[in-house]
Amino acid sequence: MARVNLKSLRGAVVPVVLLAVLEWYARGPGKNSDALAPPTEAAASLVGAVGDGSLLQASFFTLGSAAAGLAVGFVLGVLLGTWLGLSARAGRWGFLTVEVMRPIPSVALIPLAMLVYGFGVRMEASVVAFAVFWPMLVLAQAAARQVDLRLLEVADALRLSPAARLFKIVLPAMVPRLFVALRLGVAIALVVAVTVEIAANPHGLGYAIMLAQQSLDPALMLAWLFWIAVLGYAVNAGALWVQSRVARAMGASV
Amino acid sequence: MSADPTPALQFEGVSIRLGGKEILSPTTLDIRQGEFVCIIGPSGCGKTTLLRAAAGFVQPSAGAVRRGQEIVKGPSREAAFVFQDYGRALLPWRTVAGNVSLALEAMGVPAAERPVRIDKVLQTVGLSAHADKFPLQLSGGMQQRAQIARCLAQEPSMMMMDEPFGALDAMTRESLQDELSRLVRDSGLTVLFVTHDLEEAIYLGDRVVALRSNPTPGKPSVAAVVDVNIPGPRSQLSTKEHPEYLRLRRELYHFLGHH
Repeated sequence: MARVNLKSLRGAVVPVVLLAVLEWYARGPGKNSDALAPPTEAAASLVGAVGDGSLLQASFFTLGSAAAGLAVGFVLGVLLGTWLGLSARAGRWGFLTVEVMRPIPSVALIPLAMLVYGFGVRMEASVVAFAVFWPMLVLAQAAARQVDLRLLEVADALRLSPAARLFKIVLPAMVPRLFVALRLGVAIALVVAVTVEIAANPHGLGYAIMLAQQSLDPALMLAWLFWIAVLGYAVNAGALWVQSRVARAMGASV
Repeated sequence: MSADPTPALQFEGVSIRLGGKEILSPTTLDIRQGEFVCIIGPSGCGKTTLLRAAAGFVQPSAGAVRRGQEIVKGPSREAAFVFQDYGRALLPWRTVAGNVSLALEAMGVPAAERPVRIDKVLQTVGLSAHADKFPLQLSGGMQQRAQIARCLAQEPSMMMMDEPFGALDAMTRESLQDELSRLVRDSGLTVLFVTHDLEEAIYLGDRVVALRSNPTPGKPSVAAVVDVNIPGPRSQLSTKEHPEYLRLRRELYHFLGHH
């Protein structure tokens, strides 16, 4: 038992050593650095941010905006992508539009979104939704095209209604691929949300890290950076957990 | 034989071309109500296409398929289709009971009535103990039973079976043959059964239809139709030693491409 625990700690060796080196460097040769701070000070700043409620508030804002944008972008992207994937005619009509819109960098829409919504959740969520929408559309289109022909014949043989065909055959058959899309969407949503906050929106984690940088408080800046990394890891782990739960509920052999 | 004079299924000069290639040359064939007809022939002879046309998955290029009085325009719940690749035909995200339920849902059977009917068909195919298992947790034979159960649940008058036991091991195949035979005898289903296994065809069929190996324009695809006059119920041992069985096996052997 002890041996297993020791082995599982191997992965922690490199980060701990790096932290120790950083601590030594920031307290020694890099004492006057404006960019680096000792990890212990960053930890103290993190505790401070927890204490004054700013950490909770900023996390709430960023995760909330990212989730709202992701939900809109994912649902619309999957619905439209499924349609384009199932109907060859719709696919041909939509092709050019998708290929022209898809490469627009989502952050280039920040000025437009600001004009429309001003600062706040809606502006940020709309940019996230735009960023998430296109990859979701393309992946859903591919997923719909890859639904096993045999299952569609089963639907034909049973004379399923179009709605039953969609909800009982096509969408469930797409679920494994939609989860791949969703996990990609989660990553995009977080990156874009923080980017919007760093670039324009005076709220959330991105704004907090910018503010710390501009107030020449590297300890606080590193604290926010660390916290953003933790949240990113937790969100991805959560998505993986949901994915495996759903896969098991849908009959995948464990 | 049935008293009803209208054939259950009629092929009236059906030929099928797909992508400029002749898949099935003019085929005329009547199948009586309650008859078990096996279609044999080597790979590429068009036997699966014939079956798919009977089920309405493919439209004939010339001629017509009639089910009763009606020309077949598309699939119908009257004619259930059992696919060879049971692994692809079952919904992997539904349990055995859930897969059977799909047929009932398609028919608009109220949710309250479904469990009883699911139990009944699962009992018929011997899967009652596995109702809550997912397809991937079952052996090939059990998966094919599950597909047959789903087909029975739609209460068809006819069953189209496309090499349903072709991918199973010999023991499983024999027990499923016997169960199918019993089930068809009890239910009065009309069965069109495609196989490349001559012995299976003679063992199961009231009639065996042999298709020509290469469809040629102008030359009918049906090469021979023979009645199987072996008194039922059949058994793996005595039927396969019956002189008539051996005679038919000899007579039809070369239609499978053997020389």
